[in-house]
Amino acid sequence: MSTIGAMLGDIVHSLFVRPATEFYPFVRKPNPDRLRGKLIWNPEKCSGCQLCVKDCPSNALELIVLDKVNKRFVMRYHTDRCTFCAQCVESCRLKCIEMSNEQWELASLTREPFMVYYGREEDVQNLLARLAQEKIETPDRE
Amino acid sequence: MNIPIYPLIALLLFPGGIFLLGWGLAYEFIDRKLVARFQNRIGPRWFQPLADWVKLLAKEEIIPDGVHKGLFLALPVVALAGALTAALYAPIAGWIPSFSFRGDLVVALYLLSMMTLCIGVAGANTMDRFSILGATRALTQLFSYEAPFLLAMLGPAIAAGSWQISEVNTFAHANLWMILNQPIGFLIAIIGLMGKLELPPFDAPEAETEIVSGALTEYSGRGLALFKIGRNVELVVGLTLVSAFYLGGLSNPLEFILKTLALLLLTAGLQSLFARLRIDQTVGMWWRIGAILALVQLLAILAGQAIRGLL
Amino acid sequence: MTEETGSPRKFIVPIGPQHPALKEPGHFEFTVDGEIVTGASVRLGYVHRGIEKGCEQRSWVQDIYLLERICGICSHSHATAFVLGVEKLAKVTVPPRAQAMRTLFLELERVHSHLLWLGVAAHEGGFDTLFMYSWRDRETVMDILENLSGNRVNYSANILGGVKYDLDQKQADEIRKGIDYLEERTKYYLNVVTTDETFLGRTRNIGTMSYDQAVALDAIGPTARASGLARDVRVDSPYAAYADFPVNLVTETQCDLVGRFVVRIRELFESYRLIREIIEHMPGGELTTRVPRRIPEGEAISRVEAPRGELFYFLKSNGSDKPERVKVRTPSLCNWASVTHLAIGHNLADMPMMLAGIDPCFSCNDRSVTVRKGGESQVWSWEELRRYGIEYYK
Repeated sequence: MSTIGAMLGDIVHSLFVRPATEFYPFVRKPNPDRLRGKLIWNPEKCSGCQLCVKDCPSNALELIVLDKVNKRFVMRYHTDRCTFCAQCVESCRLKCIEMSNEQWELASLTREPFMVYYGREEDVQNLLARLAQEKIETPDRE
Repeated sequence: MNIPIYPLIALLLFPGGIFLLGWGLAYEFIDRKLVARFQNRIGPRWFQPLADWVKLLAKEEIIPDGVHKGLFLALPVVALAGALTAALYAPIAGWIPSFSFRGDLVVALYLLSMMTLCIGVAGANTMDRFSILGATRALTQLFSYEAPFLLAMLGPAIAAGSWQISEVNTFAHANLWMILNQPIGFLIAIIGLMGKLELPPFDAPEAETEIVSGALTEYSGRGLALFKIGRNVELVVGLTLVSAFYLGGLSNPLEFILKTLALLLLTAGLQSLFARLRIDQTVGMWWRIGAILALVQLLAILAGQAIRGLL
Repeated sequence: MTEETGSPRKFIVPIGPQHPALKEPGHFEFTVDGEIVTGASVRLGYVHRGIEKGCEQRSWVQDIYLLERICGICSHSHATAFVLGVEKLAKVTVPPRAQAMRTLFLELERVHSHLLWLGVAAHEGGFDTLFMYSWRDRETVMDILENLSGNRVNYSANILGGVKYDLDQKQADEIRKGIDYLEERTKYYLNVVTTDETFLGRTRNIGTMSYDQAVALDAIGPTARASGLARDVRVDSPYAAYADFPVNLVTETQCDLVGRFVVRIRELFESYRLIREIIEHMPGGELTTRVPRRIPEGEAISRVEAPRGELFYFLKSNGSDKPERVKVRTPSLCNWASVTHLAIGHNLADMPMMLAGIDPCFSCNDRSVTVRKGGESQVWSWEELRRYGIEYYK
């Protein structure tokens, strides 16, 4: 049994309903809870085992050790290398890492926002000052 | 409307010329928007066809190797000229055509076919395999739908007793709508119009997934812009003719807008309903079903006239 | 594989590497005479990315995510095949809840892939309306997957020893609602595909491959099942949780394109049934188990039924934390022979539909293999490797 125009009902019905297109960015659907967005690291619980750094498939995480005994670390997160696979979240035994479900629109016009430093306030300031000094001493290094 | 317009204005500004180009762009927008709504999505915004056209005009025109240069550059112009000239004899915007003469129905229909012929020659001109295939398909399709379409347009002309479009228009306005008198003719006319304009399901000559863009593959920049706007003008003129003949004549701008939009709605619906027909299926369908139905309709009209003559 | 007719006129139409019909690059040369195709040849290799070599330089854990990105719509099948092979090498038993979650993701991916294919095949045939509607409905299953795992494609649900994501009550309800809606729409699409006259004109009696031809050309997946060949890894050698949730094999006897459409749509119904069953009877327990970082030496083979057919992985470990060799044989590679063999005699206009009928996934395809046996080198064709794998596996 064959018909001509089997989709006629659907087509006519579509004239009277709203289009299925989402009007992003003016209208946004609510984010699912498990959305894997930007990484967030909590320095309080970290023990410095660096399993997350070893297991990352794209080398997006680096743990810079400022003081191993007192557990002062700074994590450098390369947002542009991350594949958002959440393996680091699994690998961390102390649950210091989570992936945000709010920040997922990660586009920028410059390179700087893609390198994110996580850590205690004074640690990050220390590190950034040290790096700025190193850059002035060796200006040709990238 | 009966207000005559100075011929030069009719040629350049209204209802031919600039008005027609703009109206063609507007109808392309409405067509794309309707097809999008039938497919449950938003379509383009109102200035999209205008933006496309302006962008194409501004781009570089690349002339491929091995073509006849003069022919390559002249064909789009000739195609657009043919479509615009055919518009001079049709009641665009409900105005009486300024240049009409006896027998202009045949001239108008042949000028509309000139567009397809130009596309065929343009495709055969280039050395590209896709263009040659597209040209072959375009010309094959031309041979298949042309006869039934002409017969379908002839039906109202025979009923009106004249070969002049404006007289058929007044006859159709004065009498019962011919869609009720000659329904088979209307069906063939609207489907033939879709074949002439290469709208889906008859878009085998420019099937995107098989032969890139058919005969127009090598065209870019100005040439492509002229072909595209020629297509749009052909859409307007074709819709005007079919609605003038079958939907009771166009005598003022309001009727023109309403009737051609109704036909456009029907055409857009038919476009989104079917899969693409292969070229051999198109030819088979037209020569078997289309031609026979057109002949049946013609015989019915002649029989009707003979009976009326006896009474 | 070009066949010449005796005619001196040889008009070759190249489809690809760049062509609107192909979503990925691949080169097909069709020798045509007017509109009839008289010869066909295939050339692949445009998307070779060296993934197998890349696997040897990354650890076992990092490889899951690299192999997942071989293909976009069978990504979870690749990851599952790899992870099953590694767990076999490490001699670890994964808890049943994790296997059931893996199966749930596999079936959801099958739904996703078949709906995508339906749209693409309709687009190749010029039926854009069916394309738009089936892709609109595909959004439902992508939203389900996003709620479950956090991403619409590349779900990254597998880890060595289990899965990352669990199913709770709210998500189970959402899945049921989504599947109910999809089942209704799929019934409608089955009706459209089998009764619409213009669409049947494009698919009826195109690409007919009889049962014997399917056996001779070694077709796999839904392409073979449309010719009556009953081959399905989920039934022949069940993996993950398919032993607990058995699958009914779907075959058709119409050996042409219509059969391939119908087989895939009926597989969709089967997947809906399986998904409901898995949600109903999800086994309890934990989600992961510990897998050592250094995998013991050995070789393992794992086979998984990807949406396109049988996916075959060969893993070799030398005791360290990086694999020695990972070999992938993807299903689309087996089906090319059927296209080039059956293309002869058809119209050129049917070529895109025939290509779409085997559901090609070009990114999966580009591999080459050389095996050295004791000093002399030998190049194995895919047929020989497959036979070797089957006999080894027994």
